[in-house]
Amino acid sequence: MKKPVRLAATMLAAAVLGACGTTNSTTSTSQPFKAAWIYVGTAGDHGWTQAHDDGRKLVEQQLGTGVKTTFKENVPEGPQVEQVVEDLVRDGNKIIFATSFGFQDAMANEAAKHPDVKFEQATGFKTASNLAEYFGAAEDADYLTGMALGAASKKGKIGFVAPFPIPEVIREINAVALGAQTTHPGATVQVVWTNTWFDPTKEKQAAQSLLSRGVDAIGQGQDSPATGEAAKAVGVKWSGYDSDQSNVAPDIWLTGTVYHWGPYYVKRVKEAMNGSWKTGSYYGNIGDGMIDIAPFGQSVQQSVRDQINAKKEALKSGSFYEFTGPLKDQSGAVKIAAGTKMTLAQILSMDWFVQGVIGSPKGG
Amino acid sequence: MIRIERRLRESRWLVVAVPIGSLIGAVILSSIILLATGHDPLATWQRLLERGFFSEGAFSATLVQATPLLLTGLAAAAAFRMQTWNIGAEGQLYLGAVGASGIAIALQSQSAALVIPAMVLAGLVTGAAWAAIPGALRAFFRTNEIITSLMLNYVGGLLITYLIFDSHSYWRELSTFTSRVFPQGKYLSPSAAWPSLQIAGIGVPFGFFIGMFAAAGLWMLYRSTRFGFEARVIGDSRSAAHYAGIRTRRKIVAVMALSGAFAGLGGASEIGDFRHVLDPRGLQQASFGYGGIVVAALARLNPFAVIVVALLLGGLSNGGFSLQGADFPAGLVGTLQGLILFCALAGELLVHYKIRLGRPAGVSHKPADAARVGAA
Amino acid sequence: MRGITKRFPGVVANEQVDFEALEGEIHALLGENGAGKSTLSNILTGLYRPDEGEILVRGNPVAFHSPRDAIEAGIGMVHQHFRLAASFTVAENLVLGHRDAADRGFLLEPRVIQGRVAELARRYRMPVDPGARVWQLSVGEQQRVEILKALYRGARILILDEPTSLLTPQESKNLFETLRLMVAEGRTVIFISHKLEEVMAVSTRVTVLRQGKLIGTVLTKETNPRQLARMMVGRDVVFTQKKEAVAQTERDVVLDLRGVTALSDLGTLALQKVDLTVHAGEIVGIAGVAGNGQRELAEVITGMRRLTSGTVSIAGRAMRSGDPLAAIQQSVSHVPEDRMGTGVAPSLSIADNLVLKSYRRAPISPQGWLRAGRIRANAVDLMRRFNISAPGPQTPTRLLSGGNVQKVLLARELSSRPKVLVAASPTRGLDVAATDAVRGLLLEAAARGVAILLISEDLDEILALADRIAVLYGGRIMGVVERQKAVVEELGLMMAGAA
Repeated sequence: MKKPVRLAATMLAAAVLGACGTTNSTTSTSQPFKAAWIYVGTAGDHGWTQAHDDGRKLVEQQLGTGVKTTFKENVPEGPQVEQVVEDLVRDGNKIIFATSFGFQDAMANEAAKHPDVKFEQATGFKTASNLAEYFGAAEDADYLTGMALGAASKKGKIGFVAPFPIPEVIREINAVALGAQTTHPGATVQVVWTNTWFDPTKEKQAAQSLLSRGVDAIGQGQDSPATGEAAKAVGVKWSGYDSDQSNVAPDIWLTGTVYHWGPYYVKRVKEAMNGSWKTGSYYGNIGDGMIDIAPFGQSVQQSVRDQINAKKEALKSGSFYEFTGPLKDQSGAVKIAAGTKMTLAQILSMDWFVQGVIGSPKGG
Repeated sequence: MIRIERRLRESRWLVVAVPIGSLIGAVILSSIILLATGHDPLATWQRLLERGFFSEGAFSATLVQATPLLLTGLAAAAAFRMQTWNIGAEGQLYLGAVGASGIAIALQSQSAALVIPAMVLAGLVTGAAWAAIPGALRAFFRTNEIITSLMLNYVGGLLITYLIFDSHSYWRELSTFTSRVFPQGKYLSPSAAWPSLQIAGIGVPFGFFIGMFAAAGLWMLYRSTRFGFEARVIGDSRSAAHYAGIRTRRKIVAVMALSGAFAGLGGASEIGDFRHVLDPRGLQQASFGYGGIVVAALARLNPFAVIVVALLLGGLSNGGFSLQGADFPAGLVGTLQGLILFCALAGELLVHYKIRLGRPAGVSHKPADAARVGAA
Repeated sequence: MRGITKRFPGVVANEQVDFEALEGEIHALLGENGAGKSTLSNILTGLYRPDEGEILVRGNPVAFHSPRDAIEAGIGMVHQHFRLAASFTVAENLVLGHRDAADRGFLLEPRVIQGRVAELARRYRMPVDPGARVWQLSVGEQQRVEILKALYRGARILILDEPTSLLTPQESKNLFETLRLMVAEGRTVIFISHKLEEVMAVSTRVTVLRQGKLIGTVLTKETNPRQLARMMVGRDVVFTQKKEAVAQTERDVVLDLRGVTALSDLGTLALQKVDLTVHAGEIVGIAGVAGNGQRELAEVITGMRRLTSGTVSIAGRAMRSGDPLAAIQQSVSHVPEDRMGTGVAPSLSIADNLVLKSYRRAPISPQGWLRAGRIRANAVDLMRRFNISAPGPQTPTRLLSGGNVQKVLLARELSSRPKVLVAASPTRGLDVAATDAVRGLLLEAAARGVAILLISEDLDEILALADRIAVLYGGRIMGVVERQKAVVEELGLMMAGAA
């Protein structure tokens, strides 16, 4: 009986008085610390956003009832972000993570407005006393993924479905090509640009166009597993991105570059809670575990696994660095002399493809 | 059997009663869904209204969403009133943004008094020109404007992506290290930032302000000018328009251009009021052009109603994001928003049509019925 | 069919109608527009379901829930407006939506079907190429395809709705021949028409409907056109309106066509070197079977169609071709054949429709702004003067009856003080009172000195109103005769192209 009565009251109140009503949010003494995430995609996208949401769940798991997390998904880049941040601040969130580059301007504006709230921007460059920036060096894992692709390809023709022709993506493709060439000398990586981070339809079409051109292993820098679905249809081996996507197509799954945002999130939320939070630019890598490769698929031979694992250890220990000369560009000209390591500034603004990549680093 | 018949006269009390009724309907339906999913309907509704409209700063935030929707809604209304189906407000908005940001970059050292009118004008002109393409194709080659204007949305999207991501265009920032790492447009100088008018503590974006005048202008145009009369005739019957000596082809191009000008103004406002940079990803994610079609349809193509509906949808959008959370998925928010719009449309139907319950024709063979024949 | 009743909101379309057709007869269903002929045939073909009454086919009661049921019962219909897929071949149209043994599953066997079609066509003397695409065919040929389609589907009862309205006299003759062959085989033909002559010529029996009611069924050989007309209209048909003769030599030539040639919408020659004059105060009637260039003639004079050669002059001034605005500015008024949709904008109010041509000038729109008060005053005035009955000037025009729509049209066209009025089928589909009123308005206008070109298929109307009669056939003027000297038989021959 209770529910119908409640329902009727609700209807009346909302229809007639709802407009005027205000709730006094009950402030309890032992309120949990509130942390929030803003996503450009959906939390269950099997890709970029899910990787972040897994991190959020880790925070809830490890910090327990002391923390209350929430998230806003499908937030379009632009002025809407500011409204969402305002809303989160009003709800009492004390640390806000934004996980798309396009959120940066709004985050910077809001950080200036709310000095008592900590802001964290994934992929960006603006920082302030309460605005930090974080990202991961995916290229380390991309190199290892490239090794798996090279080994899986018989003809040495690898396809890659890539989002935007920007340095971040260009260096990832280069890392894939360099890795592939270690397990399959002379392997090529053919690139198709989708001009989107997340659009399963476009990604699938791009993958299909590569497959129809005869690539026999395919990788991706996209945030959805649509490439894998296309590859599954023709039985071509596939490497994923962002999260472990092996359940999409276990038979063709090789491995993939994955982000483990969780440990970073746990650390930062803890710091915000105990007051030791400081701004900064964090560039995680395979050494600290922010970047890794996903578990191998069943088709990856033990010898290849051993080879990749050995390289991973070398990357972790710093005894190996993938962007070390000699590196040639697409025309065969030496760009980085033998023995020279590329600087961080150089790889962050990389706008050329290494030898063996087919496609234009300017898009198209 | 249920039959739906058009009302010959729309009674006055219905015009008032139906919106209230459909609101109550929306509350009932959504409350059922909320209870079924374990949420408190009262709190949900309160939060939606509060955060969408009534709490401090909420209405200003709603205006941010409502401004582009108002202008694209007017764009759709302007064309649809003449039964010209401009589905291309999305692309016209992009082009307006390109035009406005381009002129603002060119005039970056000039004063606001020059830059802002130039941006408004550039948005109007580029949007109008982009819309004139499907208009001219329709008028002179009889292509379907629904398809051509829709296709030009994709072209427009590719164009703005190209300008920032795939080329070293005039719009792209190339001078700093970060801009080489992350492709982005040139940020406009402060003189290109449109003013926000403070009215009773609410910040009204300049674009919304223009939009209200534009709505009044559109209403006057259709109601009391030769241009509007001709458009109404064409909208009702092309052959009657031809018969009456109306230059239908020119009119189609003109109305498409007018429609595109509104959408282009929306793009200029996105740049001048809010973004201050040509932002291909954000503009495409927002899909204000398609939202404008919904606005115009809900507003029955009435320009003043477009203002109200744009505010409603803007508030619903903001309030919707406010509802979202770890235990309140975006899908449920979308369901609630959909229910509200559905009830509004159903109510709309009731104003114009009556629903009759009756037996299906052809079943009755009773002689009693025969006696009544002839009375009509 | 026994005791068929069908009601629509506000009207009873059929009331207790009994109708029977025998094997081997051509049974004509005769009645004015709106008498309920179409409703009855739609019930018979399963499109509508009767509110009351029953249908028996060969003594067995049937209930049609859809047109498919009717087809299966052997009833086929040829509609006035053909229902063919224009880009498909004749043979494909015949099998569209129809299942039979020639289908091997999903695949059509074009050769088998084409063979059968050719055989049917030969048997009923309906020459048509089974491989031709429908859009390539003439109207007459398309009608043959429709008939073949019905036969192909095994129709024992064939219903034809006004089948001759788009045909030339020769094509009509051929059609009648075909119908006779079909009934000779024991099929039944139901022939819907409102034309007395052809009913007399082709049918075995005639059933007359009036205002949804059955008036009676008679044997054709025991009746005559006069009796049928009385049954159809309910009284002897006499229109009192008659034109006073004018001596044309004393009047100026207002409308002058010289060597006018124009194409139809399909790009065929619709008008060939037409010479025609109309004097002030004169009514010239254009007689002829529909589709012989009447529409194009009206359209070239009113600027709605371009000339390919020749000139149209109004009061001595040559008119710009293909520009309706030029015609309006030169005081040419036009009552088009298609009233609702061309003559008026249906959803616009009566008031707006009354300024459809004058809106662009003062006093309605000085400086480009419409004056709502003047538009309304204009409407109130014209509605009173032309006796237009409607709830008010803001009523959407589509809600008016046909007669009132025509009065709105005439009010607008005549109040602009035209020099020339082109009236195409101005009384078609109107009831007797409205017809009378419209004819009265035309005569009044002529008396005021307007030069009127009256295009009508109704020869009686032309004989009543026109001073001179021109016959149009195949886009040519076959001859012009003065009314006093006109002999109906001669006109008929000219209309058939035989003069």
